[in-house]
Amino acid sequence: MDATELALMSETVRKALAGAGGAPDDRAATDGILTTFGWLELLEAEPGEAIEIVFTALGATNASATVIDDVVVSASGRAPRADLAVLLPSYAAWQPPGRIADGRVRAAGLASARVEHAEVMLVPCRAGGDLMMVSVPTAALDVAAVRGVDPAAGLQAVSLEIPVADAAALDADAWDAAVALGRRATAHEILGACRAMLTFAVEHALQRMQFGRPVAQFQAVRHRLADALVAVEALDATLHAAAAEATPITAALAKAVAGNTARTVGAHCQQVLAGIGFTTDHPFHRYLKRTLVLDGLFGSADEIVVDLGRGLLETRVVPTLIDL
Amino acid sequence: MDVAEFRTGLNAWLDEHHDEIKPTYALPGTLDDHIAQMQRAKSILFDAGWMRWGWPERVGGLGGSPMLRTELGAAMAGRGLTDPGLYSLIEVLAPTLIDFAPPALAAEVVPRLLSGAELWCQGFSEPGTGSDLSSLSCRAVPDGDADTATTWVINGQKVWTSLAQYSDRCVLLTRTGPPDSRHRGITAFFVDMDTPGITVAPLEMINGDFEFAEVFFDDVVVPADRMLGELNGGWSVAMSILPYERSSCYWQRLAYLYRRLQMLVDAAPVNERSAETVGNVFLQLHALRARSRLTQYRLAAGETLGPETSIDKVLVATAEQTTYEAVRRLLVGVVETDDGVSGEMWRREYLYSRASTIYGGTVEVQRNIIAQRLLQLGATT
Repeated sequence: MDATELALMSETVRKALAGAGGAPDDRAATDGILTTFGWLELLEAEPGEAIEIVFTALGATNASATVIDDVVVSASGRAPRADLAVLLPSYAAWQPPGRIADGRVRAAGLASARVEHAEVMLVPCRAGGDLMMVSVPTAALDVAAVRGVDPAAGLQAVSLEIPVADAAALDADAWDAAVALGRRATAHEILGACRAMLTFAVEHALQRMQFGRPVAQFQAVRHRLADALVAVEALDATLHAAAAEATPITAALAKAVAGNTARTVGAHCQQVLAGIGFTTDHPFHRYLKRTLVLDGLFGSADEIVVDLGRGLLETRVVPTLIDL
Repeated sequence: MDVAEFRTGLNAWLDEHHDEIKPTYALPGTLDDHIAQMQRAKSILFDAGWMRWGWPERVGGLGGSPMLRTELGAAMAGRGLTDPGLYSLIEVLAPTLIDFAPPALAAEVVPRLLSGAELWCQGFSEPGTGSDLSSLSCRAVPDGDADTATTWVINGQKVWTSLAQYSDRCVLLTRTGPPDSRHRGITAFFVDMDTPGITVAPLEMINGDFEFAEVFFDDVVVPADRMLGELNGGWSVAMSILPYERSSCYWQRLAYLYRRLQMLVDAAPVNERSAETVGNVFLQLHALRARSRLTQYRLAAGETLGPETSIDKVLVATAEQTTYEAVRRLLVGVVETDDGVSGEMWRREYLYSRASTIYGGTVEVQRNIIAQRLLQLGATT
């Protein structure tokens, strides 16, 4: 797919999600739109482009879906389907959420709202030094909706402790690939949300009159918005790098940059939006809250940065990762 | 030649010729040492052909994408063979001659710059002209009618002129229109630094080096055929530097910063504070590298680089200062009280990094450009 096709398809999906008419947290409607668009087929054929198109659009429209499950299932080498859920690591973590010992599987983690209607959930587990993927009937799970800072995200807290019945080997590289693609997907979603927040703030700055002129004319305001754009473009570039050199470390870096970008953009845009950005009358708050949740999926910026730093100190090697 | 092929060949060659090309001075070396090393390395690389790739054949080059010379500069900085700040003057000045000098002049002098036979400097800033370059006042007056004059006479002062006291030539911006003609009344000249009437007074920088200077022009006579570009067309000469300064030079500085991070990682204690600090530097260098990579692809594809490179500028300035703050944070006391070789090196570079948000247009000016040109926030006055 060339850049023009990619842009066209991104725009189509974004418009479809924005124009759905339902509540932004109507996940059935959002999933339906993405299915019609051919999400699963594109994910299989072109995973990098699929996540870029779909997750950027989700971020840009603040729509909530359950397609992150497909990303993890697919990248870990299994066939995704709409009624198959997967257990994600806990907030800020990226280790497999389950553990197998003494013939039992114990797990605790987060899940998308898909767990509400799926028959089966896949639970990535550690088993001694190996990894296993355990299939669990959703009826055996303890599921509680996470209200948290962003109830509309539809996250579920899931825990279980049951005998292992249906387990298959999970290749460590496949799990790393699943985390990497999950990180890129959530980073794209954060990028979409950050661009939306910046658009809100720019529009507001141009319209809001104080001291007889638009606040966009004040340099202090302009510099905040400029720094927000610098952060947004840095994230965009690291996502390009993660696609061009698709390795766990470029994905980790993109996700960490995403978390930091969300922090920068959220703070500057909220300050520029001032009073109205502090209310629920303006949509800004939904985007800000969504980025707070997304930062923690597959590892937060803070956790990833420390992990990367530990790796550098351990190996004493600083790789440059991408070339011309 | 393909960029990856060039990089592979170059690295193999540099490995093989390491002993011949490596610095011979005792570390950390003085500015004189660094300049002598750079010129020696350029000479070796020019003779071996590497220094000629990426430059047009009409100035002694071997052709190919400008990314080839970016790779060369990055390999040299990354291996500690040259200082990227000194080396970047090639990228800033040679394209100007190639695009704006009479062809014979460019063919004569550009190989001398590339081969290390000469050093050049850039006479842009003035005491009253920092970020606001179009307000410059160093004056050039034709000896007779402007269209037919065979010589011009220059009077005025430049400042922050890097390497002026080492330089053989200067790309000089002068006022040729009325004093208030801003960017419409500027003309560029290529001036020999041994011309009578030029006085260079080096300035001591915060780190003790005398890298830049004040340059005074008193009735300096310059031949009319040393004019670069059109009369009163100096602004486009000045602006033409931007694409290379904001692409190749940053890639080369990055190679150097990666090397510095490697040195920090080698020396830092293993603890949580180190992990967080070096992780954060790694993140910033990667984001800048990712951004710079895209910028260079756009340049190589023939796109005109413009205000969006202000983003690269803000990123490079921030990344550089973050790197050296990390050094100060983790190598406790090295910058402040260590009088050994490593202290001398880190102190000099730490202090130099304070300028990265100032030179080449302050980050505040970049933010103004981003706000007005990229975010369309409108004019401020």
